[in-house]
Amino acid sequence: MLKEKLNALLRIDRRWIFLGLTVVLFGAIMRPLGLINKEISKDTRNAYDFMEKLPAGSFVILSLDYDPSTAPELNPQAVAVARHAFRKNLRVGVVTYAAGATGLIEQLFAVVPAEFKKEYGRDYIIFPYQPSAVAALTQMASDLYGIYDKDKDGKDAKSMPVMLGVKNYKNISLVVCIAGTQMPTYWVQYAGDKYGVPVMAGVTAISQPGYGPYLQKKQLKGLLGGMKGAAEYEHLIDTPGKGTSGIDALSLAHVMVVGLIIVSNIAMVILKYL
Amino acid sequence: MKLIKKQIPLAIVLVFGTLTLLTYFVPHKRSVNFLETMNKWENIVAAFAFFLGLINLFYSHYTKISRKADGWGYSIFVYIGFLAIAIPAYVSHGKNMDGSVLTWMGWAFKYIYNPLSATMFAVLAFYIVSTAYKSFRIRSLQAFVLFAAAMFLILGNVPLGQMIWDKLFGWTSYAISDIVDWIMHVPAIAGKRGIMIGIAIGVVVTALKIIFGIERQYLGKD
Amino acid sequence: MIKNKSGLSLVLSFLAVTTVFAATSPRPSAQLPPVTRLTAADMPYDVGGTALLKWDVRPEDTPDVLYQIYVSSMESGGWIKADEFPADTRTGDGIELPFWAWNASVREHVVKVELNNFYGEAQTTGPVFRFKVTSVKDKKSYDSQVVSAGTVSNWFRLDRLNNLVMAILVFIVFFWAVSHAKRKGLFIRRIAGLDAIDEAIGRATEMGKPIYYLPGIGNMTMVSTIASTFILGEVSKKVAQYDSTIKVPHKDPVVMTVAKEVVKQAFLEAGRPDSYREDINQFVSYDQFSYAASVDGMISREKPAAIFYMGWFMAESLLLAEVGSTTGAIQIAGTDEEAQLPFFFTACDYTLIGEELYAAGAYLSKDPMLMSALKTQDFGKLVVMVSVALGGILASLGGLMHWDPFTRIIADLFKAY
Repeated sequence: MLKEKLNALLRIDRRWIFLGLTVVLFGAIMRPLGLINKEISKDTRNAYDFMEKLPAGSFVILSLDYDPSTAPELNPQAVAVARHAFRKNLRVGVVTYAAGATGLIEQLFAVVPAEFKKEYGRDYIIFPYQPSAVAALTQMASDLYGIYDKDKDGKDAKSMPVMLGVKNYKNISLVVCIAGTQMPTYWVQYAGDKYGVPVMAGVTAISQPGYGPYLQKKQLKGLLGGMKGAAEYEHLIDTPGKGTSGIDALSLAHVMVVGLIIVSNIAMVILKYL
Repeated sequence: MKLIKKQIPLAIVLVFGTLTLLTYFVPHKRSVNFLETMNKWENIVAAFAFFLGLINLFYSHYTKISRKADGWGYSIFVYIGFLAIAIPAYVSHGKNMDGSVLTWMGWAFKYIYNPLSATMFAVLAFYIVSTAYKSFRIRSLQAFVLFAAAMFLILGNVPLGQMIWDKLFGWTSYAISDIVDWIMHVPAIAGKRGIMIGIAIGVVVTALKIIFGIERQYLGKD
Repeated sequence: MIKNKSGLSLVLSFLAVTTVFAATSPRPSAQLPPVTRLTAADMPYDVGGTALLKWDVRPEDTPDVLYQIYVSSMESGGWIKADEFPADTRTGDGIELPFWAWNASVREHVVKVELNNFYGEAQTTGPVFRFKVTSVKDKKSYDSQVVSAGTVSNWFRLDRLNNLVMAILVFIVFFWAVSHAKRKGLFIRRIAGLDAIDEAIGRATEMGKPIYYLPGIGNMTMVSTIASTFILGEVSKKVAQYDSTIKVPHKDPVVMTVAKEVVKQAFLEAGRPDSYREDINQFVSYDQFSYAASVDGMISREKPAAIFYMGWFMAESLLLAEVGSTTGAIQIAGTDEEAQLPFFFTACDYTLIGEELYAAGAYLSKDPMLMSALKTQDFGKLVVMVSVALGGILASLGGLMHWDPFTRIIADLFKAY
């Protein structure tokens, strides 16, 4: 009898698991527990420290290459990094190589710069979408205006005050690539390794382990991984946002996975030895 | 026919493949220009091919509807979806925002494309949970190693997991984040590097096979 | 008298000592000698536009002395400050070039001047530029003589000689292996995932259900996508032979165009050109998740008997494979995107890892020429294994014994520049 029940438990219709997860996530979003992420990962801390040390007025490239599918994880990272940059009075140039990102970028920069009274053209600039990342990254090594002569609205980029003294990688202090694609790898290969521009990245939790070798060799100065990375960065800049509010749901879902794995193994052991 | 379908394409692959390989060793301006031109050509060809894709998509769904094939009703949504984004994009001149106001396209992007796309990615979380339930069963020593590593990573990734670890294993004086760091930076990277090196060598050999016309199935065989 | 004599010598010695002391010890207000023996030349192994300035390291090169580099494109005047740095920095060992291409001497200052930063890119290669180095101490500056040089576009990257030697070696082994194959067959180990293809297609034929072949979301420039088209050719041929049905949904229109040719040819070879239909290959969407959603829908509705996932996959891998597994289809996957391998392992019956995917064309077609190329792959692995082991031991030994030049040679040999 018990064996039958355990067998049924092991072969449970996955839709019950889906339902369980839905309840857990819904509960956490409706009634937040207010969990605080105490331990900041080394990679997030390194990313924060690197930007924190940049002198005011340094030109930073934000390469935002995520589309709406990965936006729930990556948009909080982008918001946190943009806030940090503006608070440090850094100049920001936004580029993208994902067509789906253009709308998200416009929405993000309609809100965040205003919080710090930053002005378009003086403190930040948004460049148009470019389909060929490799061609753009190669061109920026010699002359950025060879590919980005105009901003997203077709205005002359070079004459804007934000671009003063910026010509190529030599004048760029940091590249932050937040992407649901392979873009961080391209930035490392074509800008970081070749021209010595410091690169850091923000990626989805699922692709985070893949960037280990780049972190080990310091080809990436720091890495934010998924919603947890966003929450950690928000904690470091002391401005809670979507990342922090998502951490409850993330926590409970993780604990649910642990619970399920343990239950399935106990059931298996009982079936095997009893 | 063989000349057009086989020999000329193979000659193009050989010449341009070899030249592109040589650009790695030749820093001259001509070599750089050549590479830039190749990049541009690739973009142009891809842009035309995209049109081809669109035509193929519309044609195949049109055939489905006209033949009333199984599930033809879904094919109507291809056209509805296309128009729901293409018309607002045309009306808004391809802009998402007009000052701080959402344009028609911005609206379609934010309230149609955004949630649909995010939903698909979110479904992944459900599949991962159910897959974890089915696959992390300790049937062998290797499976146990996998199980242990997964436990550390899952717990170490979130505050609730960290709290549980501190309660249960706080006495060991090992922080879970240290263990996660070690797993991610030592065994995980070692394995990944091995696979990466194997793949890189495979890429080199496959590239040689293509450049020298030994592997030519992608052209259709002789 | 003697007393007087010794008194005189004491005075004389005092005078002598003070004179010598005054001559050898520089006082804070002393003049700094200008830089001598300054040379300017083209930076080797580059596209052009960069000049290389060199001069000897001097005893006066203390941290409080600054060097300023000036460049001019005119015959007189027009100086632009190109660089500034403390005098105890920037020596020959700071230039990142290997030992066979560069003498990394700490006895001379070496500075790269990238002229593109100051002049239009088109004007920097060819014309002659003038340079001078100014030493600055206590707000006083001392100019060197003016030297001139032009830059050229170079034809060979000597710093990549190690890669070239390796490439030539791989070429030799490759051609040797290919010519060897013509005479004698080669052993190739079993790849279970590829052996199962026959079984999967057979099952689909028996059940009268279609076969799905997903070539991934990569574009045609990716080796995994090219490898996928090799497998598609073999699979389609078998499908045609068994008179089964195959569907190939695409994310990339270029891949679709190539796949159409491959499938058409396979049907022709199998002697069944009449069974070929244009809608076997179908473009779905250029958006990753729209593609996944659409293909998931097709799989759920049609419940195929076999599904192949071959090529480059990202986050959609599990979305597709999980839905596939619920339909009870035999699933065979192959990708070189290592982050996705765990998902395929759990949801598919067989999974090809990276290089197995590349070897699939050779394995399935049994073409001796293709199989022989795999030898080159094995040779490559052998070289990597020996290099990792030997390089690791030698570099550790060098580090332990403080043989710095030796360690540098080892590191240079294995580095890509």
